[in-house]
Amino acid sequence: MNIVVAIKHIPSIADDLPVKGNNVDFDSVDFVLNEFDEQSIEQAVLVKEAVGGTVTVVGVDMIGELDGVLHLALAKGADKAVKITGDDPAADSHQQAKWLAEAIKGMSADMVFAGVQASNDLDGQIGPMIAAHLDMPYIGGVSSVEVAGDSATVNKEFAGGVGAKYSVSLPMVVGVQASTKPPRYAPVSKVRQVAQTATIEKVAPSGDAGSGLTFKKMAPPVVTGHAEMIEGSSKDVAKKIVELLKSKGLA
Amino acid sequence: MLTLIEKIIFVLLALISAGFTVHGFKTIIDSVRRGRPAPELKNVPASLLRAGVMVLLQQTIFKARKVLSAIHLGLFFGLITYAFVNLVDVLEGFIPGFDLVYGGRNFAFTFLPAGVINAFNLIADVMSGALLFSITVMMARRFIVKDKRLTYRDNVMLNPKILAGGQAKDSLTVGVFVIMHVAARLLGQAFRLTDGADPFMPIASFLSNIFGASQTGIHVAWWVSIGWVLYILPYITRSKHTHFTVGPVNLGLAKQNPRGLLDPAVPAGTKLDPGAKFLHDLSWKRVLDSYACVQCNRCQDVCPANFYGRPLSPSALEVNKRYLIKEATFGSHPDRLLLPLTETVISAEAVWSCTTCHACVSICPVGNEPMADIIDIRRRLLIDGGEIDSGVQNALQSLATNGNWMSKGKRLRGRWAKEMEFPVKNATEEPVENLWFVGDTASFDERVVPNTKMVARIFQQAGFDFGIMYQNENNAGNDVRRVGEEGLFEQLVEQNLQSFGKAQFKQIVTTDPHSFNTLKNEYPQFGGKFEVKHYTAVMAKLFEEGKLTVKNPLSGYKVTYHDPCYLGRYNGGFSAPRRILQMLGVEFNEMPRNCENSFCCGAGGGQIWMGKVAPGERPAENRIKEALTTFEKNPNDKKQLFIVTCPKDMIMYSDAVKTTGNEGKIEVRDLIQLIAEAVGVEMPLEAEAVAS
Amino acid sequence: MSNDIFVITEHMDGKFSDVSFELVGKAKELASALGGQAVAVVVGSGTASNVFASDSTIQVDDTALSQFNPEAYGKVIEALVKDKSPRLVMFGWTATGMDLAAWLSARLGVPCAAYVKNIGADLTMSCQAYGGKMSADVAPEGDMAIAAVLAGSFPVEAGQGSTAATTMASPVALDGLKTKFVEAIKPAAGDVDITAQTKLVSIGRGIGSKDNVELAEELAGKLGATVSSSRPVVDAGWLPRTRQVGKSGLKVKPKLYLMLGISGAPEHLEGMKSAELIIAINTDKKAPIFNVAHYGATADLFEVAEAMLELL
Repeated sequence: MNIVVAIKHIPSIADDLPVKGNNVDFDSVDFVLNEFDEQSIEQAVLVKEAVGGTVTVVGVDMIGELDGVLHLALAKGADKAVKITGDDPAADSHQQAKWLAEAIKGMSADMVFAGVQASNDLDGQIGPMIAAHLDMPYIGGVSSVEVAGDSATVNKEFAGGVGAKYSVSLPMVVGVQASTKPPRYAPVSKVRQVAQTATIEKVAPSGDAGSGLTFKKMAPPVVTGHAEMIEGSSKDVAKKIVELLKSKGLA
Repeated sequence: MLTLIEKIIFVLLALISAGFTVHGFKTIIDSVRRGRPAPELKNVPASLLRAGVMVLLQQTIFKARKVLSAIHLGLFFGLITYAFVNLVDVLEGFIPGFDLVYGGRNFAFTFLPAGVINAFNLIADVMSGALLFSITVMMARRFIVKDKRLTYRDNVMLNPKILAGGQAKDSLTVGVFVIMHVAARLLGQAFRLTDGADPFMPIASFLSNIFGASQTGIHVAWWVSIGWVLYILPYITRSKHTHFTVGPVNLGLAKQNPRGLLDPAVPAGTKLDPGAKFLHDLSWKRVLDSYACVQCNRCQDVCPANFYGRPLSPSALEVNKRYLIKEATFGSHPDRLLLPLTETVISAEAVWSCTTCHACVSICPVGNEPMADIIDIRRRLLIDGGEIDSGVQNALQSLATNGNWMSKGKRLRGRWAKEMEFPVKNATEEPVENLWFVGDTASFDERVVPNTKMVARIFQQAGFDFGIMYQNENNAGNDVRRVGEEGLFEQLVEQNLQSFGKAQFKQIVTTDPHSFNTLKNEYPQFGGKFEVKHYTAVMAKLFEEGKLTVKNPLSGYKVTYHDPCYLGRYNGGFSAPRRILQMLGVEFNEMPRNCENSFCCGAGGGQIWMGKVAPGERPAENRIKEALTTFEKNPNDKKQLFIVTCPKDMIMYSDAVKTTGNEGKIEVRDLIQLIAEAVGVEMPLEAEAVAS
Repeated sequence: MSNDIFVITEHMDGKFSDVSFELVGKAKELASALGGQAVAVVVGSGTASNVFASDSTIQVDDTALSQFNPEAYGKVIEALVKDKSPRLVMFGWTATGMDLAAWLSARLGVPCAAYVKNIGADLTMSCQAYGGKMSADVAPEGDMAIAAVLAGSFPVEAGQGSTAATTMASPVALDGLKTKFVEAIKPAAGDVDITAQTKLVSIGRGIGSKDNVELAEELAGKLGATVSSSRPVVDAGWLPRTRQVGKSGLKVKPKLYLMLGISGAPEHLEGMKSAELIIAINTDKKAPIFNVAHYGATADLFEVAEAMLELL
């Protein structure tokens, strides 16, 4: 099995996001791995562990700091790492998907994994777009994957435990919602060891695509309402909540 | 005295005994040598000598259990005396005319004056009595009173042999030996008293009154007394009573590095796997620990995890180690050494319940370091991808990406400083005298941030030039290292050292004892040699130099003070906070467990990241009760405060006051809040909310 | 080219989801502003589709389309859109819409906006991205655009009606599909139905670890409530999927929704914002949930929960 994981390096939303012009000020934010990609890497490694093969992780190097993420993926069980030297922190999903698809074309992938979404998918997610470029079927919202021979059985989640099971003849692109098992922890010493020994293949970006969206404004959402804030110590808060609930007959 | 046949039999038996004894010690030495290299010890003879003095003065056992320790004196000095007595007894048996009763009246040799002989007889006689008394008390404690402190909780992992009563049998064997041996020796001397009492042998004389003199008796008693020794010497090498011989040596070889500096995960100069999975992944010194331990369980008494009902007993860890080696070497289970330590000596749950408070190591009379074993086991469990508590995993993941365990963005680290009414310098951009290392909790936790701001205001008032590193500061890594994530620790150290490199400062000041510990003791190993101070030392100095003055004496407060493990026990920072409290004019009440014996809040070693698990009284709750009991001894109407100097304590004890229902009776405050009040730094509204 | 607005509706077991009606309502508004038609597109098999207030409804009917199949649905929609050239194609930013919108965008080379909260008459779209921390206004270039709209953005009622559907056969051949629907997955039986509860204590990432879930259970027990959660808690395996509230979970409308450690990502808000009383406890005073909750407190959830336990 040739398994490819396409990842996204995205602005961290743990910080307040600064704005520059009509977009996020990409120079003053930290970039982190999309949280769904952690699930997707784990799912890919789980598939490899079940049926054998190699896992190649590929991502666009947005700000020249992708190596750390790739090393982490390698420490978690990926075998190869490829970075597309995009060096454009504003590259949108359309552009990234195109570059990724071009890079993946030569990898004879049997399965491509991607996180089901990312918080900066303003123009859609890379998974379905890669599928479109590679002419492979796509299923997103996937929470389990089993591979037998040249077909995969995936569970897609709709909502609230309702879902559907699909059988897909490979190759395909999977948008991972949650890996079958929670992502493993990679000890930093292992990551550092990998960092010293691993080689990361560099690929020049190829192919142009854009979202076709013009950013007219970017700002924290206008707050229309705000909760009535209960002040005081935790004890006070608890007391007021309990009083409130009692007054409404809810406790 | 002995007949030729007796002599021949004795010599033969003695040779056999010596053979087994030598074999026993050789086996121990071999096993110890299989351990990994330990950090190099400097000037070993001097250390051994120092330990020898400490042992002779029996200093280390008196750290706890004063009465029992006094009883131990009888055992210790009795057995020392008996080493000589036995030698004399052997000479008595082998050399005709070697007879010391009645001041050596019948002694065939003239080189010893009667005074010396009488002195020896008196000491031997009295010490026999002391030994008999002490051993009887100890046996009664174990077998009649059944002192609970000698037992283990049901959830503590124990070697099957111990569960089958191996330890009790061991104590019984040696106890009975001592009684028989000493009693027989006393009787042997009594049988020699053909001419009535010898004033220098009061006990023997007393026995002689009852039993009279007997030649046969002398022989029988001799054989019982000395014959036992031939059995017990090899036995000792196979029992916990290796303590007699290994204990003092182990104390002499004890860790010389600062308490707050952990041994490296990989021994220097080797390429071994980090940490410990199997017994011999431990350093040789810590293999030796298991032979020094006699299971007095002083460590268990002071262990907060054990108190909390978790399956951890440091002493059980040591005894399990020894039983494991014994099974592998003297027994038929060498294969058990190939089992992970978490299956043979300490359960994984116990490993993860240690708070790394160092109390077990500090209290140990023989210099054992069970806590270091636990950290080594954690180190390997992490590398091997063992199951890690999800809370710990989240914290580590956040630390790796955000540099803090609270999943906060790096850039938010200095947010509190930006909210201040005066600019707080960025030490990575302009030179400062004092680089304030703030730490995670103080930077992000909304309950602690008001105190952080107060520190800044007090520094400002004192004209104390300081700056912080804003987003360039990362968690110092103290708890990361203690949870076993050595790689992440190193990464954090490197990141912080890079940041320090950008800054110009004279010394580092920190409000967090955990950061303080690793910055002070561990960063030098990575090339980060700085002057590091805890804020209590800094503030004490500011008061003493007159840069801070008490405007509002706090005589209305009645306070007690909790020593944080990493400030107190680890780094001896006992005096500064107490000096400050004195200067503030509060009524100070010391809790019974103070300074070196302070009782951990339960948050260290990564516990604060883990889920709240066990039911039952938590260490912090117990501590609050201790404070209240202390206050009760000195009743008055003053406001009762529980003073802490560690952000984690603030959280743990505030919580404990609530869960024990003692709000209104006692309030938890950081020392900084008292200082602020006393020096007249206004308490902002948000801080009042926390304080109330 | 036309100025028609296509709404790709979604349905399961013969029932259309709320978001489909929301989008049809909005499509009508946009279509009338642009001088086009609001067209509801129903892809399925034998689905009763005369439920929309659209100007027209196209029903593509084929047995291969009886269940959602991203590959088949994608092909049908691609062919249809290519043929009819609407001005705007609207999807829900839902489990089904998310499989199709961006895919279609890449296939056709037309702009696509996701996380859409609102659409102006000039088709400027307001998107709520970056976990709800940012609102972006984007304008699509060209003659056709795709919008993937967050559920709950528009009123449901405006899209309800009875326009009869024009049924057509699939415009593309549906044999040789690589994707085969195997079976539906129903929620694990035996667990409580959180949509039927009047009180929910809902926990988020802030709960920290699996062991702490007990505290929430205890509090819920005292309140006569049930524990629900946001997605990360379920992904971590601390609660079953059946307890998840939000886009990929369930939509709930309880009398009380007490939130412990949930920051309030748009996906979660989708599932609970119509609860009657929302109280949120979070340590981050800037958490987006405080813009939605009725009452909020910046506090440690454990402390508050424990204090509440004592008071109840």
